[in-house]
Amino acid sequence: MNQNRIPRIGIGGPVGSGKSMLIERVVPVLASKGYSVSIISNDVISKEDADRMRLNLATKRGLLPENLVVGLATGGCPHTAVREDPSMNLAVIEEMETKHQELDLIIIESGGDNITTTFSPALADYFIYIIDVAGGDKYPRKRGLGIETADLLVINKIDLATFVNADLEVMERDAKAVRGDKPYVFVNCKTDKGIDLVASHIIHDILFDEPPKAQQLKR
Amino acid sequence: MFHARGWMYMSTDIFEQLGIMQLSDSFFPSGLYATSNGLEILIHDRKIKTADELCDLIKVFIKQQIGPADCVALCNTYDFIAKNDFEKIIKTDQILYSMKLVKEIRETSTRSGIQLIKCIQSFKDDKFLKLYSDSITRGVCTGVYPVCFAIAAYSLGVKKEQAATMLLYSFTVGMVGAALRMGIIEHFEAQKIIDELKNEIADTVQKNINRNISEMWQFAPEIDIIHISHEKLSEKMFIT
Repeated sequence: MNQNRIPRIGIGGPVGSGKSMLIERVVPVLASKGYSVSIISNDVISKEDADRMRLNLATKRGLLPENLVVGLATGGCPHTAVREDPSMNLAVIEEMETKHQELDLIIIESGGDNITTTFSPALADYFIYIIDVAGGDKYPRKRGLGIETADLLVINKIDLATFVNADLEVMERDAKAVRGDKPYVFVNCKTDKGIDLVASHIIHDILFDEPPKAQQLKR
Repeated sequence: MFHARGWMYMSTDIFEQLGIMQLSDSFFPSGLYATSNGLEILIHDRKIKTADELCDLIKVFIKQQIGPADCVALCNTYDFIAKNDFEKIIKTDQILYSMKLVKEIRETSTRSGIQLIKCIQSFKDDKFLKLYSDSITRGVCTGVYPVCFAIAAYSLGVKKEQAATMLLYSFTVGMVGAALRMGIIEHFEAQKIIDELKNEIADTVQKNINRNISEMWQFAPEIDIIHISHEKLSEKMFIT
């Protein structure tokens, strides 16, 4: 076991479900509590998501250094990059762990994929799977490894539900049926509804309510 | 040979073959599936459009870069392991790293190489694996992929010639696989190209297997320019 291992969250979900936006909303909440975060974004075709997160979180708001938002190309195989062969992600993470022991958390965003996405346990300690209501309220009951096995299921874009005839009560009922006791959160990344709850899950479930490293050092 | 588990007889050749299969299998995690060696920009700019053009390009890579540089580094690493000369392995690592002119090519080679060594170390206890891994941690070695591959293959009982062939074959499959995913060839054409390149791979191994480390070279300026151009692309599917 790597003694320097920094807790890692994998965020997966279909194309356009809001993975990058979720990160853009959650990181400021974590930063406001003093947690130091870095982001690795696995993009399918460009570094647009990484570039946008770097601009919005690092350049404009200074919530993290620009070099701690890293974009990775995946050769058209986003699922492989986070599960069967996470070598490149692990290499980048290990470089970060060597140079940035001050980090409290590393967020790894998968490229947009299908409902069978999961993360290699060697890569991520905690797995958030995100879907959005625009895919239809049938999504949770369609199951798939992501929806079933994620540590936290995030259902995004709830403001669109009425426009796409998605019944949130049906989604909630099915999420409970499919996931048992595992948590789920309804989110609207545009208004930040549900974002605090996602951040609370992260702090409790993976950081075990430990204060940020920077605060621990001051003690 | 009596197998350590004590329940079967198998020849050492079979273990070598299994080692070859394991390391050559695309299931083996090396991260190299995410690379195209710059092919992506050539396809994007419509400079490579056909299977024949792809085949010619791979030949240039093999003749001018992978054969005289990567393959020679691998073969010399094998020789230095046999001579128990770790200092020369360090030298080989450093020379090959210095010959990789493009940043993303260097980064990819070492990232992939280091992960390869870590993977093999998780199930193999071997003196050179440990020495090399420790040298990488100390910053003495870079972990450039062909040297890592040699040390890994040696630890699995694979012979030098086979390891050199695997390196060239894996490179070829990587390029052809990238082309397939980018849609310029279909799956039968992909296998035809690999078949056509067998002579090139075999010749290259024979030409380079006994080449001294001081005779290691690479010269493909157009490929270096392609690498640099691809490295700078803002929208890309592949690592350079």
